[in-house]
Amino acid sequence: MAEVVGNPKVVRGRARPRGGSRKSKTGPRPFGALAWALPPVAALVLFFLYPLALVVRQSLRPDTGGTSLQAYADVFASEAFRHALWTTVWLALAATAGCLLLGFLLALVIAFVPFPGARAVARFIDVYLSFPSFLITLALLFLYGGTGVVGSFQFLTTPWGVLLAEVTYFTPFVMRPLLAAFAQLDTAQLEAASSLGARAPRIVRRVILPEALPALAAGGSLVLVLCLNEFGIVLFTGAKGVTTLPMLVYGKAILESDYPGACAVAVVNVLISVGLYGLYRVVSRRAGA
Amino acid sequence: MGIRFDSVTVAYDGNVVLDSLDLTVEPGEVMALLGPSGSGKTTALRAVAGFVRPASGRVYLGGEDVTDLPPYRRGIGMVVQSYALFPHLRVDENVAFGLKARRTPKGEIRQRVAEALELTGMAGYARRHPRELSGGQQQRVAIARALAIRPRVLLLDEPLSALDARLRSGMLTELARLHRELPDVSMLYVTHDQVEALTLADRIAVMDSARLRACGTPRELYRAPTDAFTASFVGGANLVPVTVTAGGVSLAGTELKLDTAGAAVGARATLCVRPHLVGLGEGPNRLPGTVREIQWRGATHRLYVEVDGHTVMADVRELKAPPALGDTVDLHFAPDDGVLLPAGVSHG
Amino acid sequence: MLVHSRKARWAAWAVFLVLFLPLFALPLLVILGASFATHWSGALPSGPTLDHYRSATRGEALQALTTSLVTAVAASLLALTAGTWAALAGAALRKRHRRVLDALFVLPVAVPSVVVGLAVLVAFSQPPLLLNGTRWIVITAHTVLVTAFAHQSVSAALTRLDPAYEQAAASLGARPAYILFRVRLPLLLPSLTAAAGLCFALSMGELSATMMLYPPDWTPLPVLVYAATDRGALFTGSAVAVVLMAATLLVLFAVSRVRTRASYR
Repeated sequence: MAEVVGNPKVVRGRARPRGGSRKSKTGPRPFGALAWALPPVAALVLFFLYPLALVVRQSLRPDTGGTSLQAYADVFASEAFRHALWTTVWLALAATAGCLLLGFLLALVIAFVPFPGARAVARFIDVYLSFPSFLITLALLFLYGGTGVVGSFQFLTTPWGVLLAEVTYFTPFVMRPLLAAFAQLDTAQLEAASSLGARAPRIVRRVILPEALPALAAGGSLVLVLCLNEFGIVLFTGAKGVTTLPMLVYGKAILESDYPGACAVAVVNVLISVGLYGLYRVVSRRAGA
Repeated sequence: MGIRFDSVTVAYDGNVVLDSLDLTVEPGEVMALLGPSGSGKTTALRAVAGFVRPASGRVYLGGEDVTDLPPYRRGIGMVVQSYALFPHLRVDENVAFGLKARRTPKGEIRQRVAEALELTGMAGYARRHPRELSGGQQQRVAIARALAIRPRVLLLDEPLSALDARLRSGMLTELARLHRELPDVSMLYVTHDQVEALTLADRIAVMDSARLRACGTPRELYRAPTDAFTASFVGGANLVPVTVTAGGVSLAGTELKLDTAGAAVGARATLCVRPHLVGLGEGPNRLPGTVREIQWRGATHRLYVEVDGHTVMADVRELKAPPALGDTVDLHFAPDDGVLLPAGVSHG
Repeated sequence: MLVHSRKARWAAWAVFLVLFLPLFALPLLVILGASFATHWSGALPSGPTLDHYRSATRGEALQALTTSLVTAVAASLLALTAGTWAALAGAALRKRHRRVLDALFVLPVAVPSVVVGLAVLVAFSQPPLLLNGTRWIVITAHTVLVTAFAHQSVSAALTRLDPAYEQAAASLGARPAYILFRVRLPLLLPSLTAAAGLCFALSMGELSATMMLYPPDWTPLPVLVYAATDRGALFTGSAVAVVLMAATLLVLFAVSRVRTRASYR
């Protein structure tokens, strides 16, 4: 027997997203829309893609004329390039790992063990992000540099100095998405977990970490790319011992005026960075971040 | 100025959300589109507004085919659930928006904005911003904004569902008054709330699963529904599977008198009786059963009585001495209060 | 609350302070302290002086400040225009096309700034567009670098914008252009100012691409800071860096005031 009460919740038919009441356009006008997208794309092509294409072309055209892969052969053969490539990659990976660890720890305390002034700290992080990276190295120069406070062992001219500076500067880039993710975490979940007798490390591992993974993935990959591309921090150390790919590009182009060589290094650098960034976009989209 | 749907079909990505709708709203009429969510009622309204393009079929406004016109050329007023008042504009600027967009002369704008605010009782709030108003006030401004352009038709998409129950009944009275003051404006009123539809509409179109199920005056649909879905959605209903006999129907051996309107004897059918038409105690068309649940609702008691394996609801005047759970009671209903519907899928 | 016992809470805060203060607060304090000092050989800077600020606010440094401000304002406005246009155009596109557009406009983030500098240098040192040696080459490079950020923040704001507003406007008889200028852009104003602030800050601190292509008569502040440190004048460099930070913060503060007013309406 059908029992139907006053105002029935009849659930019939296919499940449909929100009755189609939102999100539909005012009738598709694909042609007009494409035309409107043209001017900004044209500007991007003229000021960004065309110059990049010229870099690729120049890398294939040595000063002696003609077209050859000579520049690439020279670059790959050189000890300096291989060294720079290795330094760039391991520095970026190590800095990313450091930022993830440190950022996770700090964000955890700000979000879940709040103290008076925690919000001010969060604001400070936002401000911090608007400062240029080389300020960090500048400060480190006072602390660890030749005439530094801590002493004049040549810490800054080693990769470890660069690593410290990069971790310091880029950690907030991880903390910001993390804090946003933590803000959405239902505190009821934490309370339920702790009422069931779970201790803090277990709650972090079982409840917080899974929720934070998309933010960690997104922030971490962004930091990885930014570290691969970082120039100011390395330049300011004035270190001859630490050469990364962007430094090599700068050195070859500006100091040695070897444009084909600089362009060849640039192409390699772009491929690595864009490849990783593409990966980052895919990962963060998968993770729904 | 009326609205006419001529077998309008709408599909998103091959998923049909409105299936060849044929419906005419007469000039000056209030038509409610009533149905559960996902029934296609909002899609129908948006097809009139021009926000969805039918895959096939035509939409007419006052005899003019507007299917291919962009929304801004249709001359419709629209009020949506979220009101969509422009937060950066004051109340009077919101109401003037449509007139300015049409380059109406300044003096006329001022006069028509004042008129519209007067009509909706918002004249005292002209210089406020939307966020300074309550939900009910925002609602009035949204209506004033839609009316200021003197629309040919007014489309209302669940306009009251963001309001609490008390405000809602007040706004219903208000909307009825507005309709009396603007007798020429046709209104298409989308709602999932049968009370709103019954109160306000001249006719109700019941929608379900992208299709129009029934269309008629509230009284027709309530007194003489033609299918089980309509019967259950417009007012509550007891729907019981029965077999047609010579003088009425048979419910598990119990003979009930009923106008069978020439249905073939022996055919399976569904009996529909409104709960408030079911009485407690002896009477014609007696249904003996066991009380399973009693709800006190102030003025009435609702009894859930198990009659031969089926639950029958009865709304009776508040009982001084209600029966206990498990008591055996008699229910009854007058022969002309029962409606025979085709046997169909059971709902609920 | 994750940690319940008082002791554990204090431990967590202690760890936080031990990590946070030296890493993040200290560098800024060091620069601030150094900018007022003549020596730093002990634990604290010594020989308080305002000389560095005197030189950091006149002559070459003052000109660099103007250069940086003009460059950042120009680059932000250009980037905001291009990024907003692209985001608005992208919102009207079909999903597949929109993806391509988004990917194109996000590319400058992934490409190293040094390479962007090199590319712009290579491209505009030759006809048909000869910009090398002018301020325009710096502004161009900065615009390219920050457009991606402008585009991203405006796109994100656009997807959050309730389509009911545009639809209400359209039903009231407003044409698309009228809706754009009277409804969508005003509603986007808070996001637009936020994007402008971000672009401005990024451009103010830009060093990588600038080092590749700045002409001698268009030296932005970061280059000046580098020049000072490179010749060993760390204290002067610090003072210039403080001026740079202060100018950035001041503008960001002004922008956020505009934003508060825009969102309050």
